[in-house]
Amino acid sequence: MIQLFNVIKNYGSGKPALDDVSIKIEKGEFVFLTGPSGAGKTTILKILFGWEHYEEGQVLVQGINVGRLDAGNIHTLRRSMGVIFQDYKLLPNKTVFENVAFAQEVTNRDRKKIKFKTWEALKNVGLTPKKDSFPAQLSGGEQQRVAIARAMVNTPPIILADEPTGNLDQEISSEILKLFEEINRNGATIVFATHSQEILKPGKHRVIVLNRGKVVSS
Amino acid sequence: MNSATQTLLTSLRTTVSNIRANKQTFLISVMTIAISVGILGLFLIIFFNLNALLTSWNQQVQLVVYLKNDISPSEKSDLKDIFKSNSKIQSMEEVSKEKAWEEFKLTQKNSVGLELDLGFNPLPDSYKIRFKASENRSRHISEFAGQLQKNRGVESVEYGEKWIDRFEKFMIFCQLFLLGVGVLLSLGLILIISNTIRLSIYSRQDEIELMLLIGATPSFVKIPFIFEGILQGLAGSFVSLGFMGAVYSYLKTEFRPSIDSLARGMELQFISQPFLLMLVGLSILIGFVASYISTYQYMQVLNKR
Repeated sequence: MIQLFNVIKNYGSGKPALDDVSIKIEKGEFVFLTGPSGAGKTTILKILFGWEHYEEGQVLVQGINVGRLDAGNIHTLRRSMGVIFQDYKLLPNKTVFENVAFAQEVTNRDRKKIKFKTWEALKNVGLTPKKDSFPAQLSGGEQQRVAIARAMVNTPPIILADEPTGNLDQEISSEILKLFEEINRNGATIVFATHSQEILKPGKHRVIVLNRGKVVSS
Repeated sequence: MNSATQTLLTSLRTTVSNIRANKQTFLISVMTIAISVGILGLFLIIFFNLNALLTSWNQQVQLVVYLKNDISPSEKSDLKDIFKSNSKIQSMEEVSKEKAWEEFKLTQKNSVGLELDLGFNPLPDSYKIRFKASENRSRHISEFAGQLQKNRGVESVEYGEKWIDRFEKFMIFCQLFLLGVGVLLSLGLILIISNTIRLSIYSRQDEIELMLLIGATPSFVKIPFIFEGILQGLAGSFVSLGFMGAVYSYLKTEFRPSIDSLARGMELQFISQPFLLMLVGLSILIGFVASYISTYQYMQVLNKR
């Protein structure tokens, strides 16, 4: 499903952000990417959704060679994944419902279908009562659940999450993790970047440890 | 609803929302376009009216054929036959040398130092010929004058060709001037609109990045901004047309007597319909080019990451 072969990524003249990284993630797997700040977790995710280029190596996502995609066709890769960020990236001038619907509007889905799927996604994260609220009126956990609903509304086979619990307390983080596990049970592959040891504690999923741009254990 | 219509509707909704979010910059841009297109339009109004004046004066041009003193009656009759056979001649007036001298004395009686009591009449017999209005009237007069010049009984032919020629050259200069002003204003407008669109893009940077992250195509992102540029051009041109219309109505009422004294029966002209459409088209094109440039540049920056 996801394969990185000897990937090297440089941001500047210093040490590479990714130094000869090779990773293989199977279809339907739930994988944690962990490591200290600057280990390369976010860089890997950015490369996977085609937001960053890399200097050397190969990256395959669902058989697509990411390095060969250009601005004109990168959307085909991005439509096959849902991305979740630590800072939620919700649009402040749109309601919860509109934020989730927005992910489908950009893919030109029929409006009736958009309504139905948005409603369904909000139900899955338990946010239908807040559908008309604006992000600023929600708690951090609720905002992250909106972001999760937005990421899963198009039922992508891959979910990439970049420190999704970074801004949340332990109790809410556990709830969010449960949501991801549910999405995973429904068949999606999850790549979850985190530096929180609390999240990793239960040890239910594979953990890839990174340090200074290198894979330490996988 | 098919995919293209869906994209178009979503783009239009985004455009409206973009404009709402940046009302002030949008209005400033529209007013800048309106003023610039208005300036161009006023130059066009001046140009059209000078052209109309030239045409009006051209219509009043008459050919004066001065005869030799020793012209024989048969040569005179031949000349009259030539005039009669020319279907483009509207009227012909024979002016005897005596009548011409009387008229001359009448017009020059107040001129200081001019000796009018010569004891002889220095003026020749002449014909004043007026031509019917036609498209290539000037050329016809010039050709006919050349033909008459070859006639044995004709001393000289006059029809004010020099000042018509000079005026026509002035009109060519006006055309080039208008073209130059048009190009400069257009370039200035492209810079202004592209900056406005750039501001609009930066104010929605997060949204654009998110759109791209969740799988929007580059054209899905670009189209609303291109629509915004086109709308700015369209709105600006309409405001300028209103402004030009107001100026035109004012000039028409205030300067009617002056215009009438310059050319009898001439009406102050507004910009002709094709040129009006051209101005609107030019504004839309400028809006399109400017917004295309700024969205293209922004996407290039994103793609270089």
